[in-house]
Amino acid sequence: MKPFLNETYESFRMAWEQIRSQRIRSFLTALGVIIGIVSITMMGTAISGIDKGFEKSLSMLGYDVVYIQKSSWTSMDDWWIYRNRPDLKTSYAETINGIVEGDGDSLIEIAVPQMSTFNASASYRDRSIEQVYAIGSTADYMRTASGDIEEGRFFMRHEELSATMVCVIGSEIAEGLFPGGGAVGKTIRLKNRNCRVIGVFRKQGKFLGLFSFDNQLLMPLDSFRRVFGSNRYVTMRIKLQEGAAIEEARDEIRGVMRRVRQLRPAEKDDFAINEQQAFKQQLDPIKNGIAVAGLFITGMSLFVGAIGIMNITFVSVKERTREIGLRKALGARRRTILMQFLIESVTICLLGGAVGLLTALGMTAAISAFLPEFPLPFSPALVVLSLGVSVLTGVISGFAPALSASRLDPADSLRYE
Amino acid sequence: MGSTIIRMEDISRHYEMGEELVRALDGIDLCFEKGEYSAIMGPSGSGKSTLMNIMGCLDTPSRGRYELNGQNVEEMDDDELARVRNREIGFVFQTFNLLPRMNCLQNVELPLIYAGIDTRHRKERAIAALERVGLADRMHHKPTELSGGQIQRVAIARALINTPSIILADEPTGNLDTATSNDIMQIFEELWKAGNTIILITHEEDIAQCTRRTIRLRDGRVESDIKRST
Repeated sequence: MKPFLNETYESFRMAWEQIRSQRIRSFLTALGVIIGIVSITMMGTAISGIDKGFEKSLSMLGYDVVYIQKSSWTSMDDWWIYRNRPDLKTSYAETINGIVEGDGDSLIEIAVPQMSTFNASASYRDRSIEQVYAIGSTADYMRTASGDIEEGRFFMRHEELSATMVCVIGSEIAEGLFPGGGAVGKTIRLKNRNCRVIGVFRKQGKFLGLFSFDNQLLMPLDSFRRVFGSNRYVTMRIKLQEGAAIEEARDEIRGVMRRVRQLRPAEKDDFAINEQQAFKQQLDPIKNGIAVAGLFITGMSLFVGAIGIMNITFVSVKERTREIGLRKALGARRRTILMQFLIESVTICLLGGAVGLLTALGMTAAISAFLPEFPLPFSPALVVLSLGVSVLTGVISGFAPALSASRLDPADSLRYE
Repeated sequence: MGSTIIRMEDISRHYEMGEELVRALDGIDLCFEKGEYSAIMGPSGSGKSTLMNIMGCLDTPSRGRYELNGQNVEEMDDDELARVRNREIGFVFQTFNLLPRMNCLQNVELPLIYAGIDTRHRKERAIAALERVGLADRMHHKPTELSGGQIQRVAIARALINTPSIILADEPTGNLDTATSNDIMQIFEELWKAGNTIILITHEEDIAQCTRRTIRLRDGRVESDIKRST
């Protein structure tokens, strides 16, 4: 073991000498690996960034909240199927809760109704904000929502019942209307009606980069009706019991809803049960497709780098034929020569990999600084992986030339000019 | 004299050059005793280099028996040959063959690396070998900073380092001027007197005259084998 370690150490030292003595060549050779590792690392980071952003978005919907709506989030059925369905009524919530109350085994904790509109506008003095996602719901809303109140409070039962004109606003609205802060207690205008701000939600970020939960505005259901009318999109938010299996819960909800809608057995469901899991199932293959294609394409650049290393190692073997002959004459075995050239190519790749990794690290840091919206997690696993890939590249690209070096005939190589 | 170090019986080495069969060596019988100082001479094409390659275990014969220090060389595989070259043979080449990027000390240490000797002992022994050729003060110099004679002395130190059974020198003075050649031959003389077995390959008569035995080759055969006592 010891002589082997000795030899390996010497091989590393010689490889280092060789790389140092041919700086420009070594750098150009390593450049292929550097570019390869940068692109792979950046792609890996981007993919895990997408993944993380995706997870974060889905968690906004809540893992244990199911949404009953007129249309499905994921199904590709024709639009008119959804269009012809009867609208949901906010009163269903009470009916559902009544049914559930009598059933000790129910997986449903509570049903909360919500009415919403996407393009409300809110204003305060000379400032106004468009595309507000206005929601009318009950005081139980917060039991089904993932956001927190940062400032102030949510509305109470008595405010809900008396249709008081109060609202809780998202951080984007708060920043837009009250740049200096102090939103709570102010009265804003919603469609010519006054509404007092009683709370501000904590910032949540964008959902899949599409729309923001931070421009939502929550108000009591009847207050919402007074402002936006009763003909608005209704969603039933169903909070499940802790640890409830989603499939069983779906079955129960379906049964309950069919009872509420009084559907006959032959009739199809005229409502949709939506949950984040279905989203995930829909989007996972797309995400994986992007990952595979992205890594394949960036992998090509590393492949080109590997070919460069193979080429230069072949050149190096040719140039150093006499040296190989001499080393063999002095007692170097095949294995020793093989190891020496392999270690040279691995060292170049490892250096290239390290430089590439640092470059990628710098680039992600820069991107994160300029685009804080885009999460770029730089994981230790990625570091280990890309260094591992570098070593592997070195071994694969160096093996053929190193083998040819180890097989050279010592007498012929010594005579080689 | 002492025991036999090299015993060659009916050694032949044939090459195929296209259709033609080249008989570089054609039935060589030779023995070298421990402590002998010999020269192998012959015109170019006589088989000197092939014989040296076979004696140095850089090549294996097509036919015949070659016994080096009691070991049958013709049956060995590549790695065993490498081990024999490392332990039993000290090469000195006409073109010196030092690695240009390493200093003298590192060049002399090289065979010890392949012998698996650790760093400390390597350094001690390399310094001792360089002292023997009078170059201990240049050990941190690179070959490019030395004269031809000095480089060849470093190469001799490298050949000595593993205390080989024989020192094989292929035209060791071929690239040197007369004065430097004399210095080098002086070193060989001293090494011989210290008990080393030395075989020189040369085409210079006066170099051969420094040795105690001259073997002349012609067309792959031994033409004459003359021992002298001085």
